[in-house]
Amino acid sequence: MTDIHTLHILNKTPEHPRSKACRDALRPGDALLLIESAVLALAAQSGPESDVPVYALASDIVARGLGQCAREASLVDFPAMVDLTTRAQNVISW
Amino acid sequence: MAANPIHSYTLVITGAPYSTQAPQTALSFARAAIAAGHTVDRVFLYGDGVHLASSLCAPPSDETHWPTEWSTFLTDNGIPGVACIASALRRGLVNESERKRYELSASNLLKPFIIAGLGEWVEGNMASSRTLYFHAGG
Amino acid sequence: MGTLMVIDQPPYGIWAGREALDMAFSLAAFDQPVSILFTGAGVNWLRTYQDTREINQKSVEKNLSAAPIFGVEAMYACARACTQYGLGPENMVDGVVLAENSSDLIRQHSHTAFAG
Repeated sequence: MTDIHTLHILNKTPEHPRSKACRDALRPGDALLLIESAVLALAAQSGPESDVPVYALASDIVARGLGQCAREASLVDFPAMVDLTTRAQNVISW
Repeated sequence: MAANPIHSYTLVITGAPYSTQAPQTALSFARAAIAAGHTVDRVFLYGDGVHLASSLCAPPSDETHWPTEWSTFLTDNGIPGVACIASALRRGLVNESERKRYELSASNLLKPFIIAGLGEWVEGNMASSRTLYFHAGG
Repeated sequence: MGTLMVIDQPPYGIWAGREALDMAFSLAAFDQPVSILFTGAGVNWLRTYQDTREINQKSVEKNLSAAPIFGVEAMYACARACTQYGLGPENMVDGVVLAENSSDLIRQHSHTAFAG
């Protein structure tokens, strides 16, 4: 069951050029998973601003003290991250 | 809803331990994948990722020893760990046969890692249902 | 439709681009369809007349010229990045296709990968 076309896994801060390239590549039917430094997008004023479902790795959010900022993303743990990769036809690690 | 199919993964780690989070994110992912009944066909270390296969890392005792953690995980689960030979030799990571070939003073490849070419990555790409990359952040 | 290797980092100052090229050549050597996309600062790979003798590195221009021989299907360059870095037909290596929309290109490939 692949209900996600492309799962975009992003681990860069919002300022990183690859974060912008990743945002530009998002299309309806895709999903975005923020891990490592990419979860900082949830603290940034502009937010992750996306039309596709946004997920974020809970352990990385908690580690960075962002537990209160995480409303714009669905929090996932590693088992859920694995599940996301199985639901996607393609996975891009940005 | 149908049960999730079983997937096989090739994991490529390009970020080094102690300078990026890549090896630890990859390890947590690999553990979760195995726990969910999926398989990890192989772990391929590329670029700076080869430092994970060094037997000479000595982090402070109150920090996680990522090479050892990975080594134990790979051994316990019978998963091949492959360091790219071109990346490894450039960065001073050698096994016994490369040590002899280049007449180096020591070898430092941690078990069960092996050194092999990019063909291992290509093969993983073809054989596994998913290939995931764990790069340096930034 | 094959793998798209993306080179978004500049030559010489960082090694990731060379490693991406090696990955592309390996796929091609195993008869796997592969193309390369140069984007962001990565388009600086494509400038002609690179003379690297003074920095003691191999010229990536030479490495790149081997791409068709290895069987790399296509080399694309992000048009916007080329404009940004002052690259045009007069100072760019031959055989590169300008891509108006890199995201569409990514969409057309079944795998997209970076070397680091």
